[in-house]
Amino acid sequence: MSEHATPNVKPADDPAFQLPASLGSLSIPLIIGGLVLLGAGWGIANNIHARFGMSVYLTAFIYCISIAVGCLFFVMLQHLCRAGWSVVVRRIAENIMLMVIPMGILFLPIIGSLLFGEGVLYRWDDPNHAVENHLPISIWAEKTRWLNSSWFTVRAVLYFGIWSALALFYYRGSIQQDATGDKAITDKLQYWSGPAIMMFCGATAFAAFDWVMSLAPMWFSTMFGVYVFAGSVLSAHCIISVSVYLLQKRGAIQDEVTVEHYHDLGKYMFGFVFFWTYIAFSQFLLIWYGNIPEETHWFYERQEGTWGKIALILIFFHWMLPFAGLMSRHIRRNPKLVFAWAIYLLILHFVDIYWMIMPESAAAGGHASTGGGLGIASSLLCVLGMFLFMIGMVLKIAKQKAVIAVHDPRLQESIAFENM
Amino acid sequence: MSDNNEKKVHGIVAEYESVDSLLNACRRVRDAGYKKTDAYTPFPVHGIDKALGIKPTVLPWIVLGCGLTGTVTALVMQIWMNSIDYPYIISGKPYISLPAFIPVAFELTVLFSSFGAFFGMWALNGLPRFSNPLFTDPRFDRVTDDRFFLYVDASDESYDEKAVREIYEQTGGEHINSVLDDDSSDKIPKPIFMAWGLVIAASVIPLLIVLKMRVTNSDQPRFHIFYDMDFSPAKDAQQGSTLFADGRAMRPDVPGTVARGDSNYDMNFMTGVDMDKLSAIDAPRAERLVRLSNGPIGPQDQDSTPAAEEGEQAANDSDSASGEAAKDTTPWLTSNPLGNSKEVLLQGEKYFGIYCSVCHGMNGGGNGLVNRRAQKILSPTWIPPSSLHQESLYSDQYPDGKLFSTISNGIRKMPGYAAQIKAEDRWAIVAYVRALQLSRNASIDLIPQSQRAEILEMQEAVQQKLLEEAEAEQQTQEAAAQE
Amino acid sequence: MSLAIPNGLDNSVEQPGQRAPLVLGDTTYHDITESVCQVAERKPSTSWVIGFLVSFALLQWLTVCILYLIYTGVGVWGNRAPIFWGWPIVNFVFWVGIGHAGTLISAILFLFRQEWRTSINRAAEAMTIFAVACAGTFPGIHVGRAWLAYWLAPYPSLNLWMWPQFRSPLLWDVFAVSTYGTVSLLFWYMGMVPDLATFRDRSKNKFRRMAYGILSLGWSGSSRHWMRYEKAYALLAAFAAPLVLSVHTIVSFDFAVSQVPGWHTTIFPPYFVAGAIFSGFAMVLTLMIPARKMLGLEKLITIRHLDNMCKIILATGSIVGLAYGTEFFIAWYGQVQEEKFAFLNRAFGPYWWAYWTMISCNVISPQLFWIKKFRTTPWIIVIISIFVNIGMWFERFVIVITSLSRDYLPSAWAYFSPTWVDWSMLIGSFGLFFTLFLLFCRLMPVINMAETKSTLAKQYHMSHSDEH
Repeated sequence: MSEHATPNVKPADDPAFQLPASLGSLSIPLIIGGLVLLGAGWGIANNIHARFGMSVYLTAFIYCISIAVGCLFFVMLQHLCRAGWSVVVRRIAENIMLMVIPMGILFLPIIGSLLFGEGVLYRWDDPNHAVENHLPISIWAEKTRWLNSSWFTVRAVLYFGIWSALALFYYRGSIQQDATGDKAITDKLQYWSGPAIMMFCGATAFAAFDWVMSLAPMWFSTMFGVYVFAGSVLSAHCIISVSVYLLQKRGAIQDEVTVEHYHDLGKYMFGFVFFWTYIAFSQFLLIWYGNIPEETHWFYERQEGTWGKIALILIFFHWMLPFAGLMSRHIRRNPKLVFAWAIYLLILHFVDIYWMIMPESAAAGGHASTGGGLGIASSLLCVLGMFLFMIGMVLKIAKQKAVIAVHDPRLQESIAFENM
Repeated sequence: MSDNNEKKVHGIVAEYESVDSLLNACRRVRDAGYKKTDAYTPFPVHGIDKALGIKPTVLPWIVLGCGLTGTVTALVMQIWMNSIDYPYIISGKPYISLPAFIPVAFELTVLFSSFGAFFGMWALNGLPRFSNPLFTDPRFDRVTDDRFFLYVDASDESYDEKAVREIYEQTGGEHINSVLDDDSSDKIPKPIFMAWGLVIAASVIPLLIVLKMRVTNSDQPRFHIFYDMDFSPAKDAQQGSTLFADGRAMRPDVPGTVARGDSNYDMNFMTGVDMDKLSAIDAPRAERLVRLSNGPIGPQDQDSTPAAEEGEQAANDSDSASGEAAKDTTPWLTSNPLGNSKEVLLQGEKYFGIYCSVCHGMNGGGNGLVNRRAQKILSPTWIPPSSLHQESLYSDQYPDGKLFSTISNGIRKMPGYAAQIKAEDRWAIVAYVRALQLSRNASIDLIPQSQRAEILEMQEAVQQKLLEEAEAEQQTQEAAAQE
Repeated sequence: MSLAIPNGLDNSVEQPGQRAPLVLGDTTYHDITESVCQVAERKPSTSWVIGFLVSFALLQWLTVCILYLIYTGVGVWGNRAPIFWGWPIVNFVFWVGIGHAGTLISAILFLFRQEWRTSINRAAEAMTIFAVACAGTFPGIHVGRAWLAYWLAPYPSLNLWMWPQFRSPLLWDVFAVSTYGTVSLLFWYMGMVPDLATFRDRSKNKFRRMAYGILSLGWSGSSRHWMRYEKAYALLAAFAAPLVLSVHTIVSFDFAVSQVPGWHTTIFPPYFVAGAIFSGFAMVLTLMIPARKMLGLEKLITIRHLDNMCKIILATGSIVGLAYGTEFFIAWYGQVQEEKFAFLNRAFGPYWWAYWTMISCNVISPQLFWIKKFRTTPWIIVIISIFVNIGMWFERFVIVITSLSRDYLPSAWAYFSPTWVDWSMLIGSFGLFFTLFLLFCRLMPVINMAETKSTLAKQYHMSHSDEH
């Protein structure tokens, strides 16, 4: 207790609080390079067939938005819990959560596919879908009251509206505090965190239903929103760990973020690997055990052929391996290993989303496939492009302000934080 | 008994008022090179393990071991119990249903790990330990209230009472005392001893009662708590019932209905008769057979003959035919519609084993268990079942269709099996009976070249064995005669 | 050693950057010992004696009902085709849910370093164990032939020569609830050992000293022991945390793996867990607020503790509300006729009263906790908590009874009416719960003294360092 002297907080304009120039200068190249890769990947994928192209794009989009949305949740949760430990890493999440705004623009192609094409991506948009699949007209009429392009668009605008408003509110508050150091701002952010999280949960659950679950229009699972959310929050903790590590490597916030914070991030990664498994397993078990044809087809398709192999990859490498790997305290207290596991889990998060979306990418009358080497390459190019574009944007924003909440009233507590 | 003044000194203890002074003293003692030291506090004080130089515990490894044991135990237990030792299908799930085994595997992992953490911790701490020399000091009672104690053991290599006292005094330690041996009696107090004895005695009583029950007999009938659970009011086959007008508990098929699977075959298949030919020769009989197989006749059909009669008639017709030189003009099917593939024969073997072998014997020789029992008790009404190896039952004299009809409708004492065995399985039995008959007349030429050597070898071995057995029997008989 | 925190400070207000105190007043370590020990050491108060006698009488009534049930058969309940899971299962799920707060507080809040748990975790853990005991009673007698309930255990039976059916969620439940009961008991007892040692060292008579001496296993407060103890405590917490989630998850599997409309929905696991925590905290508050008043523990169980618990009720209540909404939405979105009917039937069918009781108690009443005044006024908290408990009982009623009363065979549809035995057993189970809880208050340390002292030490350290 008395062994630890009270840490000194550096002044707000300390160079250690600025984004290292070597990283900041990457922002424009990353944005441009990312867009090029995205365009190339999407172009190749579109050549395979139209739905494949759109599915690849949607996969990349869901991957990036889930990370941004996860960071938004992280920030709000820290305010809700009045958390002290996380103050030193919160600004990183705050920068990433702002990406819900550019991601809104990247959603336009998906809206476009609804407005200008018939069922290019979402089958329910195809007016012949019910007839071709012998679906009862009365049921289909009821379904399309929810699943139709105009209402879908309105909802998407609503989700982005909620996310962007929340992200801006929390980002602005935090930036304002950098300048004034006003403790009342923390009070205000905390005060609104409850309603904010409730709105967030509604928007996120329904976005998952709309954007991913409705790819199989007749399939439904009440848990689906939670499943997507679990992966999203996991990836948020991973990207925060990765960013912190890279920032420290380049010389920023080296004294502020300690092994204790890595330890906590590692714990959360471990916890959310477990949570993801819990949700994924529960969803699978209930549908597998109930064995009702309306529901089982979703998993059935994902257990066949290549998709079955990917499902096994998820079991062994999204659950068992990181679960065993992150169990030990010694690993979680090693920044390098936390960084490595975070990158690993970010990759597996992509596999998870790929497995959710791509089995629905079949052309009319055909079977869904990965599209062979070219198809996989295009999927990877697309996601890499969009991810790099997003990182470029994050760096562009991060350049302008400090990389740590310099006047947060709990900054000192966070720096001094020690695990039990 | 040692002198009170010369009690063994275990070490020396000092009392501190605050955490900070204790930590300070701990560091001093550590730096002075003492290893066998310990601090006693009312709550866990952070940093004291560093201040005293205590090594981290191995407990996590114990717990990991326990947890893995739990997982493996659960999986092995479930797979063995539900998939190997007593396998059965439930709700269409495979025997080894890993998803369904995960919940219990998880629970046992947690349970075992928790046991590991709980009992492992006490074991590592050497607890329970009810006698502790420190407890002899009345001031030490406050260790669980608001005082902090530092202790240095006398067996420490560099132990020097004076030096320790000096450190204690310098760091603000109060009430510095030597820790003396606990000289109170180490016998278990009498009340506890007696209560313990009583509990043990009482716990034996149920065991004794069970044991007594196991070894004694009683002529009292068993007490039935739930009479209707032990003796179900549900009716068994062939029992009477007052519920229905005809007094039978078993209900016949509803008129006009066909049992599942029975409508798949034509009339020839269901009767064993070539119906086209029969209607040419004996139209009324053909009509009767058709009506019969369209379902049992309800009581309202007064003018029709009951099924059993017709069946018996058919069988008796054929039976008398064998005696009186080809009087049977029925156009029986002469070949088995199922053929005689391996599957059919295996199926026939199965149903022959279930239904026929009890009377006809496993080999069809006519000496099944029921027959043997009847012979043994000299049943006056018993008519021995036929051996299926009589030439008169071979296919040239007794066509397949006729054999099928006999199985379906019965003959002499033998009841008809149409109700129990599906038509397809009855035909399979016919095929199997033919195979049995062939087995008595088979020659080595019928066997594929490649398997002949093996068969001959087996035959030789069997003959050898029979010979030996016969010799042995002869010898014992001779020996008996000599005595 | 005194702290510069004035009496009666409203510690539910926390300045950002400065943590509010969790122990109020001019409290010393010894004061904590005194205020907790006096609960067990002084003579029982009249209200305790009356409460105990009433609870004990109810417990006896429960015993009589169980014996009557066993002697007569399960027909004494209102369970009729097709509602075979009647009140006993409603009560079972209700009590298991109540039993979630304790281990949540002791394990999950521990892992999240929520220090305010220290003065409430002991009583909450005790409640967990007693609630699990109540819960365990019901499936035990619901099996019909209660004296053969041991067949559920996987032992080599010479009579049956077969094994339990591990592919059945009902058996998972047996394992989950019994594991949960056992681990909670270990956790509770382990946490209590240092405090039992305090009781031992303060005992005036020989019998008490001996009894507490045995229970405290010779605890001496050695640093080495503390270190292993803390490690074991952290490990147990790490296991108990997923265990808490798993228990109600598996209870939800009992329903959700079936094909009954209204039961077979994938949100059940997280939604049941949230509901369980919700009801558990409501029960903790219902009991702790009167207890803290009567036992004079206001300095240790402060308004801040109540405020935090209300917030958890608000959060879990909102999750539960969201889950109700999701279920309804997906029933419509999925367009499966039976599902749609099941949910409309819940809200507008013959059990509409149960459904709207549930909604108003579970979804609407906790929303009052948005208002700080309500979160910090003890009597209002008690009222809302009681409403939440009623609502959560009705939730289980709605799930079990409404769904079963309308199965796939309309000719078998029925309306459930409970018998006097059903009522008696529900009330009697409260007798069992309160008997155990009141005994616990008299015999065991109701507040974790050791942990509260270490919270105080930290608080002391903080206020000390501020002076520098």
